[in-house]
Amino acid sequence: MKFGQAVKMAVKSILAKKGRSFLTMLGIIIGIASVMTIVATVSGYNAKMMEAFEAQGTNKITVSLNLNSGESGFEKIYDYCQGLGSDVVGVSPASQIWTTVKYGAKASDTMDWQEQPRVYLGSDQYSKVSSFEVARGRDLSRLDIEEYHQVCVLGARAARVLFDYADPLRQSITISGVPFTVVGIFAEKDAESSYSVDSTILIPYTAARFIPNTDGSSSECYVKVKDSQTINPVMQRIQAYINSLTQDGMYGWGYAYSEQQWQDESSGVLTMISVVLGGIAGISLLVGGIGIMNIMLVTVTERTREIGIRRAIGAERGSIVTQFLVEAAMICGVGGVIGIIIGYGGTHLAGLLLFEGMSLYPSAEITLGAFAFSVSLGILFGMYPAIKASGLQPVVALRAE
Amino acid sequence: MLITLKDVYKIYGEGLESEVRALDGVSLEIDYGEFVAIAGQSGSGKSTMMNVLGCLDIPTYGDYFLAGQDVSELSDRQLSHIRNKQIGFIFQGYNLIPSLNALENVELPLIYQGVGVSRRRDMAMEALERVGLAARAKHLPSEMSGGQQQRVAIARAIAPAPPIIMADEPTGALDSRTGLEVLGFLQQLNREGSTVLLITHDNGIAATARRIVRLSDGRIVEDHPQQVDWYKGGGA
Repeated sequence: MKFGQAVKMAVKSILAKKGRSFLTMLGIIIGIASVMTIVATVSGYNAKMMEAFEAQGTNKITVSLNLNSGESGFEKIYDYCQGLGSDVVGVSPASQIWTTVKYGAKASDTMDWQEQPRVYLGSDQYSKVSSFEVARGRDLSRLDIEEYHQVCVLGARAARVLFDYADPLRQSITISGVPFTVVGIFAEKDAESSYSVDSTILIPYTAARFIPNTDGSSSECYVKVKDSQTINPVMQRIQAYINSLTQDGMYGWGYAYSEQQWQDESSGVLTMISVVLGGIAGISLLVGGIGIMNIMLVTVTERTREIGIRRAIGAERGSIVTQFLVEAAMICGVGGVIGIIIGYGGTHLAGLLLFEGMSLYPSAEITLGAFAFSVSLGILFGMYPAIKASGLQPVVALRAE
Repeated sequence: MLITLKDVYKIYGEGLESEVRALDGVSLEIDYGEFVAIAGQSGSGKSTMMNVLGCLDIPTYGDYFLAGQDVSELSDRQLSHIRNKQIGFIFQGYNLIPSLNALENVELPLIYQGVGVSRRRDMAMEALERVGLAARAKHLPSEMSGGQQQRVAIARAIAPAPPIIMADEPTGALDSRTGLEVLGFLQQLNREGSTVLLITHDNGIAATARRIVRLSDGRIVEDHPQQVDWYKGGGA
């Protein structure tokens, strides 16, 4: 018998048993699609978290110092860090204040929340800590801080939403009704996100005293260091400095910690989530596989009789095995391809729904692995009756009950 | 001789207390062109005999020569070819493939012979016409009566024009009128030159054959000599 005949017979057999073929495919489809979607979702979640860390800015140490004497803890830290040389890139508070910003008829409280400019209190080194570049005008200066100047530097998006095509430089905006003069504009950093760091409006932290209901003496500040290797040594020195000032709580309290510690712990948690969800995906693959086996094994008796008939009227063992192989490979191949398509769609959908339109892609290894597993299982169990029954005497296969 | 059985045994569960000797030392010769009824009660071993003769099963002991060839020396592939080209089977339970329609069932042995599509279709239709079922070619077995299914099975057996026809209780599930029709076919095929083996428990049906071999408990208890046959010129 020719191979083409085996293909025709297989197609006929698949079409004649649509229920069986469909259920087998379903096992494969569910197995592959769920594994692809789950694994891609986990890796998307991971990527999202890493993105959040990146946005936070790595190589940062968070420091807080509160002194009973009433002196500014931040200024102590600021002065101390200037003595640490090139290891420290910048020191600045970065606290947001919740307030209304107005320019002309534009008011932040009437805007879409993602577009609203956000006011941050910072030092003259804020742009270094948060990796902003000044595009036009100037940055905050030491003098602005020391003399409480009512000036501000706008993020690119904040400038755009407030001023449209007008030139913001030397214009005056009001923050909670208090006028601030625009002295500079930052270059755009993140044009992609809907909720962007470019909505920042930076004002001197000392100028917060003019804004009603705002406490300018922010307790937390950030120390940005040169690279990840310098985080720990610098952090230890700051911690030692804090300890020397507070004397175990006698004169105040404070702390220093780095994002990196938190990042390490978080990635541990993420790994655990990956393992758990990966396990769930593995189980669904296995359940799909058991479904395939089930359907295939349930039909063994029926198929054994069929093999007996075919053998009795002269089919060679090879013809039978070929027919069953082609049949199983077709069902599983088609099911596998549908599974990949649905898995791909599911992954995309998960990206849209869970990650604000982030483009998620299933991993090629996982896809191939799930495909290989399901399809080989399907083919193995699809072939099982043929391997078992074609070795029997035809009369034994005919008697199968 | 077409068929020669020498001291053939088929033993199930040999050596056990429950040992069953379905064939218990059977020797038999059947010549080309004979019409032989193998008769016996249920359990007498007649179906086992057909399975052995039809190369569907192998004897535990003994020799089986088919057209002078020792069957035990043939490969599985060669046995498949014999079943395919030399023997047409008509089973008691029809043994049609339920998912294939009448025409496809009849085509099946031709497919395994490697006959091309159009020729195979013609041969299968011709066989269906002979059994009067051409109009039902596209029907599934489940859409046909028992008699029609048996006739499809006959069409399948005769489509490749095999020299030997083996029928196991071909009338067992049929009413007497359709039963007679089926017997008429077998006699017709025999007249056309096929060797026909008819397995039956019914003495009336066995009597339509020219030679009756009667089995009981796996042994031949009676072998009516063949009537004088003009093209062979002698007895068994």
